[in-house]
Amino acid sequence: MTLTPIDWLIIIVYLAGCMVAGIWMRRYVRGVEDFAVAGREMNVNLGIASLAATELGLVTVMYTAQLGFEKGLAGASIGVLMAAAFYLVGRTGFIIKPLRTAGVMTIPELFEKRFGVRVRWLAGLFVVLGGLLNMGIFLRLGGEFLVWSTGMPPSWLEWVMTILLGLVLLYTSLGGMLSVLVTDYLQFLVMGVGIVVTSVIVLIHVGGFDLVTSLQAAWAGSAGMKLDAHPFNPFHGSSFGWGYLLWMLVLQIAAATTWQTVISRVLAAKDAATAQRMYRRTAFYFVGRFLLPGLWGAAAFVYFAQLGGLPEGTTSLTAMPHYLGVILPVGFIGLVIAAMLAAEMSTDSGYLLTWATVIYNDLVSPCLKKPLSPKGRLLLTRLLVLSIGVFLLFYGLWYELPGNAWDYIAVTGNIYLASVFTLLVGGLYWPRATARGAYAALIMGAIGPITFLLIGKTYAIPPEVAGFSAFALAALGMIFGSLLTATKPSRT
Amino acid sequence: MEKFFIIFWAAMILGSIAWYGFLVFYVGIKAGRDIRQMIKTLKAGQPGPDRPPV
Repeated sequence: MTLTPIDWLIIIVYLAGCMVAGIWMRRYVRGVEDFAVAGREMNVNLGIASLAATELGLVTVMYTAQLGFEKGLAGASIGVLMAAAFYLVGRTGFIIKPLRTAGVMTIPELFEKRFGVRVRWLAGLFVVLGGLLNMGIFLRLGGEFLVWSTGMPPSWLEWVMTILLGLVLLYTSLGGMLSVLVTDYLQFLVMGVGIVVTSVIVLIHVGGFDLVTSLQAAWAGSAGMKLDAHPFNPFHGSSFGWGYLLWMLVLQIAAATTWQTVISRVLAAKDAATAQRMYRRTAFYFVGRFLLPGLWGAAAFVYFAQLGGLPEGTTSLTAMPHYLGVILPVGFIGLVIAAMLAAEMSTDSGYLLTWATVIYNDLVSPCLKKPLSPKGRLLLTRLLVLSIGVFLLFYGLWYELPGNAWDYIAVTGNIYLASVFTLLVGGLYWPRATARGAYAALIMGAIGPITFLLIGKTYAIPPEVAGFSAFALAALGMIFGSLLTATKPSRT
Repeated sequence: MEKFFIIFWAAMILGSIAWYGFLVFYVGIKAGRDIRQMIKTLKAGQPGPDRPPV
């Protein structure tokens, strides 16, 4: 272990602060509305802090660093596309404006108004399925970071992550969105300081010009390790290429308008204008979300290339934390670990709450003949938060990634992004969309990503093919399903 | 073309570090105020001090 008493002190103070603040907010929870969307009292800057903290998890740091290790700085192109998507949506109010104005708690709830309760239920199922599979690898990847950056024995991984998840479950299940917002705020601060300081240390260690020349040498094949992708040009055939980037642009627009953990901040905002401002001001944050950990990953590549190759047992995924564990000064690593724990906790809490709310609101609630009492509803939502936590512990331990971590995240998210995005566009902007069209879009949109997850490793299906086919099939399902079942308006 | 991308990524790295640093201070202060305001509003909506949290 490389942690000194000062490092431990920083980590313990941070964890204790989060727990106290999180549990303290329980006193303000009066019903499901407070629990799920913080009574819709969230203002723009708190929204920025919460959105930024939730969408930058330890898992994000791991997969973006892996992209930096494998594709150099070009790996951060997805962050540029994500920033562009958020800015465009914030500028135009595309989808998020009518969604917030509708006053719903989840996206599927809106579908009931447009397509009926069965479409709401099916959409809720897809949202939960995609969301939970997506979240399934968070703990494992977060644990890998801690093992490699602190020198912690690998056998501790499960226990450390279980304890961490237990802490998150405690304050999330008690205080809901109110606790999540306040802890997200603390986590945003700790994480921001940690990321800035780590990036500066990495830049000083590797040297800006040396990073460029070393990556060029690795691309040319004259360094200790060969870089297979062009390190700067994302359009180059060896890097992402046009097809993949185009899919990413579509995916990011869909995520900015559809991803339930993002949308829950839109729905918790005071009004649609606040939500739009929050999007515009958070947009550039997403460049750094990919680029700064990507820089750490690229620097790790240069470092290990100079040593002649990766040490035994280290992979493209674990190279970055291994590298940070070597270069971060003693006494400082505590701040970085606290920052990364903050990233992990803010993401876990936001995701746990979101998926639990969707399960209650869109899967359980429509099936109940008699509505539950407010106390009963809260109890059920809290139990759902706990159940998702248990699922995460077990799923995260046995699932083997079919490709790199980012592709897994993108494809599992696609299970619902493609179909629900199509439903939202159809429902909000196309008067001829029908419930049959919605069913067809939901089912056809999920075929591509689920096929990739089940047989993607065996048949080497490119992720952009699985992803694009999902959007195309969902759109075709919506168009043909609606046109074939549309009734002509009667003449009066 | 490669030179353009190198300059682009260098500008993005420096911009991101500066933006993150700025956000920590700016949003840190403003969001702190938002939390105080939110708690004030929630307190005002509480039915009474004797009512236990659910």
